[in-house]
Amino acid sequence: MSDPASASPRSAPPSAWLRSRWAGWFIAGVGVVALLLVPSTYDALYGFQAGFQLHRISLIGIYIIAALAQNVLTGYAAQPSLGNAAFFGVGAYLLAWTNTDLHQPYWLGIVIAMVVCALLGLIVGGPALRISGTYLAIATLGLVLVTQSLLDLWDKTNGRQSYDLTQLPLSLGDDHTLYVFIVVIVVAVLFFVRNILQSRVGRAWVAIRDNEAAAEAFGINLTTYKLLAFVISALLTGLAGALYATWATTASSSSSSADQTIAFLAMIVVGGLGSIVGSVIGAIFVGFLPLLLQQLPAIVSAGPIRIQVTTLQSGIFGLLLLLALIFFPEGLRGIVDRAGLLMRRLLNRHIATGASEGVER
Amino acid sequence: MTDALLTITDLTVRFGGLVAVDRFDLTVPSGQIVALVGPNGAGKTTVLNCISGFVTPTNGAIQFAGRDLLRLPRNQRARVGIGRTFQNLQLFASMTVLDNLLTAQHSALRATILGGLLPFGPARAEDARARAHALATLDLLGLAHYAHQVAGTLPFGAQKLVGVARALVVRPQLVLLDEPAAGVMHADVLDLAASLRRWRDEVGTTLLLVEHNMSLVQAVADSVTVLDYGRKLAEGLPQAVLSDPAVLEAYLGSDGAASDATVVAEEAPNVAN
Amino acid sequence: MVAFLQVALAGVVTGSIYGLLALGIVLIYRTTGVLNFAYGAIGAVCTGFMAILMMGPRLPFGLALLGALIFSALLGMGLERSFARPVLRAPVFTKAIATLALALILETVAQQIWPQLSQAVHFSSPFATASVRVGGVYIALIDVVILLVTAGVMVALQLFLTRTKLGIAMRATADNQDAARLMGAPVGNISLLTWGLSAVIAALAGILLASRTGLMNLSFLDPVLILAFIGAVLGGLESLPGALIGGIVIGLLDNLLALILAGHSLGPLDISDPGIRQALIFGGFVLVLLFRPQGLLGQATLRRV
Ligand SMILES: Nc1ncnc2c1ncn2[C@@H]1O[C@H](COP(=O)(O)OP(=O)(O)OP(=O)(O)O)[C@@H](O)[C@H]1O
Ligand SMILES: [Mg+2]
Repeated sequence: MSDPASASPRSAPPSAWLRSRWAGWFIAGVGVVALLLVPSTYDALYGFQAGFQLHRISLIGIYIIAALAQNVLTGYAAQPSLGNAAFFGVGAYLLAWTNTDLHQPYWLGIVIAMVVCALLGLIVGGPALRISGTYLAIATLGLVLVTQSLLDLWDKTNGRQSYDLTQLPLSLGDDHTLYVFIVVIVVAVLFFVRNILQSRVGRAWVAIRDNEAAAEAFGINLTTYKLLAFVISALLTGLAGALYATWATTASSSSSSADQTIAFLAMIVVGGLGSIVGSVIGAIFVGFLPLLLQQLPAIVSAGPIRIQVTTLQSGIFGLLLLLALIFFPEGLRGIVDRAGLLMRRLLNRHIATGASEGVER
Repeated sequence: MTDALLTITDLTVRFGGLVAVDRFDLTVPSGQIVALVGPNGAGKTTVLNCISGFVTPTNGAIQFAGRDLLRLPRNQRARVGIGRTFQNLQLFASMTVLDNLLTAQHSALRATILGGLLPFGPARAEDARARAHALATLDLLGLAHYAHQVAGTLPFGAQKLVGVARALVVRPQLVLLDEPAAGVMHADVLDLAASLRRWRDEVGTTLLLVEHNMSLVQAVADSVTVLDYGRKLAEGLPQAVLSDPAVLEAYLGSDGAASDATVVAEEAPNVAN
Repeated sequence: MVAFLQVALAGVVTGSIYGLLALGIVLIYRTTGVLNFAYGAIGAVCTGFMAILMMGPRLPFGLALLGALIFSALLGMGLERSFARPVLRAPVFTKAIATLALALILETVAQQIWPQLSQAVHFSSPFATASVRVGGVYIALIDVVILLVTAGVMVALQLFLTRTKLGIAMRATADNQDAARLMGAPVGNISLLTWGLSAVIAALAGILLASRTGLMNLSFLDPVLILAFIGAVLGGLESLPGALIGGIVIGLLDNLLALILAGHSLGPLDISDPGIRQALIFGGFVLVLLFRPQGLLGQATLRRV
């Protein structure tokens, strides 16, 4: 657990402790304000294209929630489940269903998506108590395939080509509002998940990850806490799925594809298992880098050589992913950790010199 | 003689064809330090594992504070007042030492996931108290300087001592110690002996100590039980038991060349399995 | 009865292809600890190479096959040196995701070299149309070939692993890499051999499947791969015969359920849909794992404290 509060140096003087604690909240606050300023910056930067660009980056937020959910389950509670895309798809379809077919208010649809996915998480978690490791990973991957086929079947049975959300609140149709809406939700999710991870529950998950036997010897009920991790993870992934349907204004069974579910795992692996920062970096890397690569010029020509970049995109992405994994096998969060350490060292030196100057005067 | 806190009767454990513990009886009086010694493979760890629930005995009964322990799921045994260390560490390696001691207080804390949602409120207050308590415990055991280090990165001996701190932090009635001195430097073993005695005398903790280091056993034990091939070989006051020829032979083999039983203590720490 | 036999046979044949792929997956997983998501891409690239040999230089089937198998061995060993080595000591998830990256790279490179393979191309084989008759059951010649090749690969692998020095060293490495190294097994070369061998198996599976359907493209093994994974886990990830059996069971169940459910519906719900079939198979699969968490032939591992 490298999160600020648990690492707060208690043995250091209390002023230092206060400083590090408030510094964390301060940086977070600055970050949120910066995120909320993005729309006006984009307006200035992209003009009438700002909406399109904002819409694209809103997707990162959705992936951050999904990555966080996967990390709670796999990075903290050590359950190697590849089943999360099942909840992603179900969340999307539940929102479409309550919205388009049942004409229920949007927020109710979101709540239903979260609650139902939480229950499904409980059901999936049951067998996971007996099945472990690679067996669990592949079994849950199977769950995703089945979910995709069943969602397809539901579409087919109802004779629809696509499941569009027709009753979305008008305001969410505006890219600026949608962006702010997603930012607010992501910040709230980050806030709550961070708190949980630093509480008794989060410690119990890490204890299970580190050592199941010792966890039990100290009174941690493996069943309860593993199921809890499945429930929380499914709930958050359901939320992400519903948001994805909102973002795309349609629910599609490809949300429950094997590719999607492996992408969630890839996010936390490349970002860093058991790290909130890692989830965010991973979501950006896996969720957004491909979109960024789409913006490369379609054809690069150097003299007689003409390279069709469009067909190279997935390969370039694969290469970058591979390099990231080879150089940071524990995740790209390593970069942030190192930068943070450097910052703290500089800051300490600065404070130390400042303090000694104070004494001299 | 005070009341028995722990009573083991007729305990038998079979692993396939191997009889690891054979009709073993043991009484641990409240507020005392009982040492369980014996050569490698004698079944000492297995006895502890029966008490904390990692091994289900083939036969026998274990009473703890008037309770039938064997009917209690193993994750409930911390709640009723049993703590333990492990021969092979089993720390929460990625956590800091402080977080190890916080996690050890799991069953003493109440916070649920809803309480954990916010960075303030009763759950956080409870956590802050637990943190302070953990730091105080580390202080008492002279381990405070390790508090913010990641447990898995500490030297083996230090990790052993952290394991002891983790077991003691909630002040359980009974603490099972599995070779706490193995791999610990000699000076630290003396400190450990002092700490254990203090814990017994001031906190009133009852200790069941499995140990090869006879100087630690001599220094702290109120009584010693010797196990050999799963059977009880001798029992009594430390001085008497540890000079019993039968015990020496069990430890050192029939040639009995070395007469000092602490030779065994110099063995490399057994970190296998 | 004849229809049933016909369907069961078709199931065993499809299952054999899953089983072959599962064999290769287990081989790599056991010796190098890599859960290889790039396995389908490896098979597809090798099959594509063969298709190109037959389309471009118009090589006869046999020669192209030989070329493709040599190519696959080289590709497998090349990947071991360039790819598996650098990630060898990484955590298990990192290795798995690295193979995902590898799959993307492989497919892109292959697409650059053979752009025509991004669409489905015809894959001709001499067994395409012929069939043999056994009793009242017609068996396509290609199906006979698939069964024979699968059985041959399985037997050859078992003989190799139990009767040859190298094979025994390979099993020792799978059981305990460090111990095997201490005992003087050439661990590095064994990893090389494993990748080469499993790439050949992937190529065989791809070529057989393409010969059966007459079509292939660079991603034609992707949907099959996941079924192979499920087969491998069902069999028990540790055991080669288990992998083959697991794959065959999956193929067999799929075909039999298709026969049983064909034309039925529950109200508006068409239960002959592949989705229902998949759900049923999956349910059975999870049930098996609940009773045998280590798969059908896997061995339970115990952890002591
Ligand atoms: N879970 C188990 N399954 C099978 N055999 C076991 C198991 N646990 C212990 N044993 C065996 O039971 C016997 C007693 O082991 P135990 O660990 O209790 O000995 P010990 O007295 O603690 O020895 P040491 O001093 O070496 O720690 C040994 O032969 C050991 O191999
Ligand atoms: Mg022992």
